[in-house]
Amino acid sequence: MRLNMGPSHPAMHGTIRMVIDLDGETLVNLDVQPGYLHRGFEKSCERGTWAQVFPYADRLNYVSPMLNNVGWALAVEKLLEIEVPERCQYYRVILGELARISDHFTCNGASAMELGAFTPFLWLLKVRDWVWDILERETGARMTHSFGRIGGMAAPPTATFKDDVLRVIPEVHKVVKETEIMLLRNRIFLDRMQGVGVLTKEQALSYGVTGPMARSTGIPYDVRKDHPYLVYDRFDFDVPVGEDGDNWDRFMVRLEEIRQSVRIIEQAIEQMPDDGPINVDDPRIVFPEKSDVYTTIEATIAHFKLVMEGLRTPKGEVYSFTEGGNGELGFHIVSDGSGTPYRVRVRPPCWYNLAAAREMLLGGMIADIIPTFGSVNMIGGECDR
Amino acid sequence: MSQAVVDRLQTQFGERVLETSDAFGDHEVVIAVKDWVEVAQFIKDDGDLQMDHFIDLTAIDYPERESARFDLVLMTRSSVTGARIRLRTHAKDGEEPGTLSGIWSGANWAEREVWDMFGIKFNGHPDMRRILLYEEFVGHPLRKDYPIDKAQPLVPYREVGDIDKLPPFGIEEGQPFARIDWESRLAGGDSQVSPAIGVQQGQRRTLSDSEVAQQIQARIDAQMAREAEAAQASEETAEEGSGE
Amino acid sequence: MPKFTLDGKEISFEAGETVMEAAWREGIEIPHYCWHPGLSVAANCRMCLVHVESGRQMAMPQLAFDEAKGEYVPTTKPKLQPACQLAAAEDMVVSSTNDEVKTAQASVQEFLLLNHPVDCPICDQAGECKLQDYYYEHQGTLKRKLTEPVHKPKGVRFGPTIVYDAERCIMCTRCIRVCDEVAKDHVLDMRERGNKNEIILAPGRELDHKYTLMTEHVCPVGALTSQDFRFKARVWFLKSAQGVCTGCATGCNTHVDYDPRNGKIYRLRPRDNAEVNQFWMCDDGMMTYARHDTDRLLMPTVGRGEERVPVGEDEALDLATEKLNAVEASKLAVVLSAQHTTEDNLALAKLAAALGAERLYLAALGGWEGDDILRSEDRNPNRAGATQAVGGATLKSVPDLLTDVQSGAVQGVLALGWATAEKLEELAPLVALDGVVSLTSHVGALPAVASVTIPVADTFEVDGSFVNAKGLTQAFPPTLSPPADIEPAWKTISDLAGKLGKDLGFKDLQGLRQGLVDAAEAAQ
Repeated sequence: MRLNMGPSHPAMHGTIRMVIDLDGETLVNLDVQPGYLHRGFEKSCERGTWAQVFPYADRLNYVSPMLNNVGWALAVEKLLEIEVPERCQYYRVILGELARISDHFTCNGASAMELGAFTPFLWLLKVRDWVWDILERETGARMTHSFGRIGGMAAPPTATFKDDVLRVIPEVHKVVKETEIMLLRNRIFLDRMQGVGVLTKEQALSYGVTGPMARSTGIPYDVRKDHPYLVYDRFDFDVPVGEDGDNWDRFMVRLEEIRQSVRIIEQAIEQMPDDGPINVDDPRIVFPEKSDVYTTIEATIAHFKLVMEGLRTPKGEVYSFTEGGNGELGFHIVSDGSGTPYRVRVRPPCWYNLAAAREMLLGGMIADIIPTFGSVNMIGGECDR
Repeated sequence: MSQAVVDRLQTQFGERVLETSDAFGDHEVVIAVKDWVEVAQFIKDDGDLQMDHFIDLTAIDYPERESARFDLVLMTRSSVTGARIRLRTHAKDGEEPGTLSGIWSGANWAEREVWDMFGIKFNGHPDMRRILLYEEFVGHPLRKDYPIDKAQPLVPYREVGDIDKLPPFGIEEGQPFARIDWESRLAGGDSQVSPAIGVQQGQRRTLSDSEVAQQIQARIDAQMAREAEAAQASEETAEEGSGE
Repeated sequence: MPKFTLDGKEISFEAGETVMEAAWREGIEIPHYCWHPGLSVAANCRMCLVHVESGRQMAMPQLAFDEAKGEYVPTTKPKLQPACQLAAAEDMVVSSTNDEVKTAQASVQEFLLLNHPVDCPICDQAGECKLQDYYYEHQGTLKRKLTEPVHKPKGVRFGPTIVYDAERCIMCTRCIRVCDEVAKDHVLDMRERGNKNEIILAPGRELDHKYTLMTEHVCPVGALTSQDFRFKARVWFLKSAQGVCTGCATGCNTHVDYDPRNGKIYRLRPRDNAEVNQFWMCDDGMMTYARHDTDRLLMPTVGRGEERVPVGEDEALDLATEKLNAVEASKLAVVLSAQHTTEDNLALAKLAAALGAERLYLAALGGWEGDDILRSEDRNPNRAGATQAVGGATLKSVPDLLTDVQSGAVQGVLALGWATAEKLEELAPLVALDGVVSLTSHVGALPAVASVTIPVADTFEVDGSFVNAKGLTQAFPPTLSPPADIEPAWKTISDLAGKLGKDLGFKDLQGLRQGLVDAAEAAQ
């Protein structure tokens, strides 16, 4: 029997269509059809300047937008061959890890909810909202911040930044513990997650799977450890790696990653300088202060040129990658020497994760689609761009 | 680490490696389309390289480049050595490179997306159909000559009387001035008045470039060519003279 | 040819060329403000300083801050030369990118911006301003001066066409040299010294010669602005197309600047051509862009005076056919236009030949004063082209036509174009005729007396060519598309010929242009 699931279906996170061929309840064949959220991100980037991509980048993985912002800023900074000041690097790390925590909260919470455990979902979302409060205080928006800038950030950290973060950390620990207590010995939860949706290591490598999904199969690849960027090499943290590549491992990897992210945040808060510049000091890259723009000609010209022509980048091609919520988020950018990008390619981690989902689902039952698909954490914005 | 990959490929394939580069720290090797599958298979299977982790496959459109319109870019990584490599080839419009989906499964969807967005078909691909867009879509949107504001709604947009800003927003959106209007440019137009933007877009050589400069340069080049010919001719006669 | 080296690149040069000229034609930018390829060398901006690394080095004493000692110590730095004045010499090695030169460029740029007003948001030059471009490339630092900039007169009316802003002026003297050397009229000069420098007019004069817009064209900053173009459009929204000026028979090459978003032409700029207009254009020529949007005829009409009514294209063509058929070939006057392209005139000449009409006339504008700088005596861009189109046959003038009409020798007229030197009252005899068909892009005296007018595309909307007074044929592409339903004249003539049952022997522009070649050969 051929059945259509989606694109408008409660279990299809975002919008995905799956056409499944069934023999009884077992999946014999499966055609995953993405693209319902394709908004032409890559083409839209070609119509503006480098800085105008930030709002688009936010809407890629919209549950951890800060990571996308930072990824894009790092990509253009790699092309310009500049490094942001140290204080900004710590700031980016902390905000990024907060975003990662909220991403994992959402994913694990939604997974649990779909299996019937509504309470952990709401409790995780409660703490996620407190994390979003911090982000709102810093950036002005809970979700789609557009806070990154090439050469720095849009604004310096607020005066209460460190205190706010330190206040939320114990709550994060508490809710993770509560989730574990509620779920990890629940028979139904274990039966539906363990041994279901298995992905082997070879399959993961061949499909290009990265991130928590790859780590659950036993591939110890984390961009923050293998190709450290920003100040990640100064922190002491572990990378949780699973063994079986099933839903259970993915759930546990994510849960453990939340703890490791908190470790990183604590160390970053301690090491982060309390004063110092956030932006690179070059009016050719970063807008000068508005008070200067209104009173001096140099700043006006710099402002004019940056807005009119866009940030001028050297001609060339660069691939820059960071650890996004779902894996290796890469930006392959081609510049023709002007202020408008020539080509922007996003290497979306959940695109390849979703491609591998087919392997995980074949041979299983319809009911297994629910937890498996949830553990892939396919975010439509990032997948379809 | 990744330099070792480039070296190994040069040792193995010699002249079939057309170019190498490590600009901005990214190691890259350029090969011909006919060698695409062979080299890809090699980097996966070779004991020293073991590029088993597929990263990405994409294309870039250069409609003004006459030799080959598209660049195909493959990125892979080795989970054993941690090295990364970028393989590039140049494909003409209409050329069908071999599929890599037999080597890495991730290439299946990547190639489907390249077909969808650029119109490059892959020879031997098991399922060459559109992935992000619907089958009724006409054209390949990431090609430069696909207008940026063209939408193809299957269900026509509603008529809403007093709202005059509905997507797509047309040529006003984004940065209309410095953005290249490809339709016009490919027809020979789209010449920028602003010299700075003109230089950045390759329409003039310098800010103060002028037709007269080019006319004078052409005259001097012609003069140089004449002198070079004369020099060569007198060399030959001198040789003949000395030869006798 | 002798060679010298600039930034590692070997450049061949002709004797007498300066380093700046050689770099300019090779496509290497040595930043400059006061140098202009068409003017004499002033070397006052000091932006083009380069370091001659070969030969005996000249050193300049200076005090430099020594970090180790924490104080200024006497030392030397190499003396740099202005490239615009430096004659290229065999085997000279010049650098325009080494550290000393970069410091010099940054310093000169900073100095020029020291008292510059914060006018970018209201200055027309933004987008084509050298201060902006060189700031980005060569300075890139913020202001160090904390005191108030020097204030000077702003918005000074220099003449009917030009406004001067002394605060923006960098005293490069390009405008003075243009007036002296191109317009041959010393009306501008500089006064005061140091940071009180200003450009002023000669006493009792205003900037009123025929090349005033060239002062605005050469001004590298927004000090001189054109009254006509001020505040109308931002340069970065404009795209340009290649054109040929229709102001007179010199046929200066132009850049037609238009905004693609609304299809409007905002101004012309001279397009450099060593053979025709070098780097310049006259004011009247620069203002011909306004013709594109002014007084256009957009709908076919039938009837004269108060009975004039708009009709559809087909109806107009049918009516024209009827009226032309009613006239004997020997009494049909065909009027070509010296303002239309050779292609349009050729199509009309072919139609005349097909109809057997041998009475050919040329309508042209008059009332013009030439000079020995750029302006030709003839106000029409294409008299020579129209003459070529008829293969050397005689073209009588419009007064001759009026005489022929009054004597009864002409009973019908097929005219191309709007341009006649004669005014409406003088064309009165034509009103008596029933069949006067006018193919025109603009309203004017001749279309006003026509019984049928059919709109055709304007010069900015067609692919065409002009032959200038010196016999040089210059072709140009269209800048914009014509308004809906309006076609180039040669196409409308072809349609009319079809209705008249004649085949003109061409189907498209390519075929028509082949006819030009044949006609030229036949004329020989």
